[in-house]
Amino acid sequence: MGARFRYLLGEVGVGLRRNLLMTVATIVTVTVSLALLGAGLLVQQQVNLARDLFYAEVEVSIWLEDEISEAQRVSLENELRDNPEVADVLFESKEEAYESAQELFEGQDEVLASIEPDFLPASFRVSLHDPERFLVVASQYEGYPGVSDISDQREVLDRFFTIMDAFRNGAVAVAVLQLVAAAALISNTIRITAFARREQIGIMKLVGATNWYIRLPFVLEGVIAGVIGALLAGGLLFVGMRTLIDRLREQIIFIPFVGTEQLIATLPILVLVGGGLAALASVVSLRRFLSV
Amino acid sequence: MIRLDNVSKTYRNGVVALSDLSLDIAKGEFVFIVGASGSGKSTFIKLVIKDEDPDNGEIWVAGKHLARLKTWRVPALRRELGCVFQDFKLLDNKTVGENVAFALEVIGRPRQAIARTVPEVLELVGLAHKQAAYPHQLSGGEQQRVSIARAFVNRPRILLCDEPTGNLDPTTSVGIMKLLDRINRTGTTVVMATHDQHIVDSMRRRVVELEDGQMVRDQHRGVYGYGS
Repeated sequence: MGARFRYLLGEVGVGLRRNLLMTVATIVTVTVSLALLGAGLLVQQQVNLARDLFYAEVEVSIWLEDEISEAQRVSLENELRDNPEVADVLFESKEEAYESAQELFEGQDEVLASIEPDFLPASFRVSLHDPERFLVVASQYEGYPGVSDISDQREVLDRFFTIMDAFRNGAVAVAVLQLVAAAALISNTIRITAFARREQIGIMKLVGATNWYIRLPFVLEGVIAGVIGALLAGGLLFVGMRTLIDRLREQIIFIPFVGTEQLIATLPILVLVGGGLAALASVVSLRRFLSV
Repeated sequence: MIRLDNVSKTYRNGVVALSDLSLDIAKGEFVFIVGASGSGKSTFIKLVIKDEDPDNGEIWVAGKHLARLKTWRVPALRRELGCVFQDFKLLDNKTVGENVAFALEVIGRPRQAIARTVPEVLELVGLAHKQAAYPHQLSGGEQQRVSIARAFVNRPRILLCDEPTGNLDPTTSVGIMKLLDRINRTGTTVVMATHDQHIVDSMRRRVVELEDGQMVRDQHRGVYGYGS
């Protein structure tokens, strides 16, 4: 095992040094692609964090017509309370709506002057176990006697999340393209090294070395480049987060932001993708040299 | 030790290398495969080491049925075979000793065993004093001896030689043949593809002659051609 390990280290070292330029190019490409991928993953987590926070507070408002009868109102309230999707139901009468509007717009006399006591409709404020199920719940009560409209605060939030999702998708798409380029570079580097050593590989096959014994130095060479790229990408993301998120955090205090914790959780994914991709590219590009 | 039953091989470019060849080589035999260039000698060796697969027919080597041999078992087959080629196939950046040791290293032999075996086999081929030399510092005959040492260091049951004297002058060739003869006397089966008429005639061993991929002669204690 000792001799074998020394052989392996020697071969990997020679391979990395011989193609220094190609190795650097490979590592840079891997770094950029994995940094983008990591950024995409972090944006995803950021969206989830914000979404969880906002959605937990989200309520569905079922606006009632002024003409609704007491019996209709009670039967609607009972049905809402019996609905398994519903977590809590709060009735807000026209008077209460007026009062809370007074509170909400306190100090803004112009707005207050435009709101008359009779202006705001009564409503049920419904919180759901799963805010994502809004449409299902809304469709159950649409057209219900005495219900004028059903609205959800999510509609506003969704616009924000759509933008974030688009940003994430863009980052991941570019990352995938970059990863393909990285795989091609790794494959090319390995092929050049293998071609330079084709005599040696031929002799190894001839005297009965197993394919994995021949492959291992090459695969390891690729994996090392991949893992270095992943770690550098992690460093880039850390610096990026420090400069961007920390500034945002100072200005926007009500949103939780992703931090070092999420970055550390993302790092293994980057290492796995970088190393795995490099290993795969190496094995595939060696097939021609190893065909028995 | 080597058996071919109705073996045919046509390359993708349409060249028929072997057609319907049946041959049985017993343990400890010394066999010449003779014939003109393109008669199928090299293909025969490639089939035996499973570098190529036949289109038809069955091949058994060292008790293994090659058609049923899984790809991952091919290295095990090759460890029972030693191969010597016309162009020596030595690594220029390794010394004589390292070239021979390389064959043992890559099949995972322990270092102590390698350190013991390499000088022994170099002694056998008469190059004990050249262990630290590099291939380019040796004559052709010496390089071929190193190549034979590398093929034999793992004590294979079969030694396959493809034109081993093809690049050597007649005097040097005689030395190589003496070496192969000695290896044969240790019980190793030796198969040698050649078109060197003098060598075949002087050795008087079994001769299998191929012509356009077909066996036209199988003669014990034979000579290169009927007419000579």
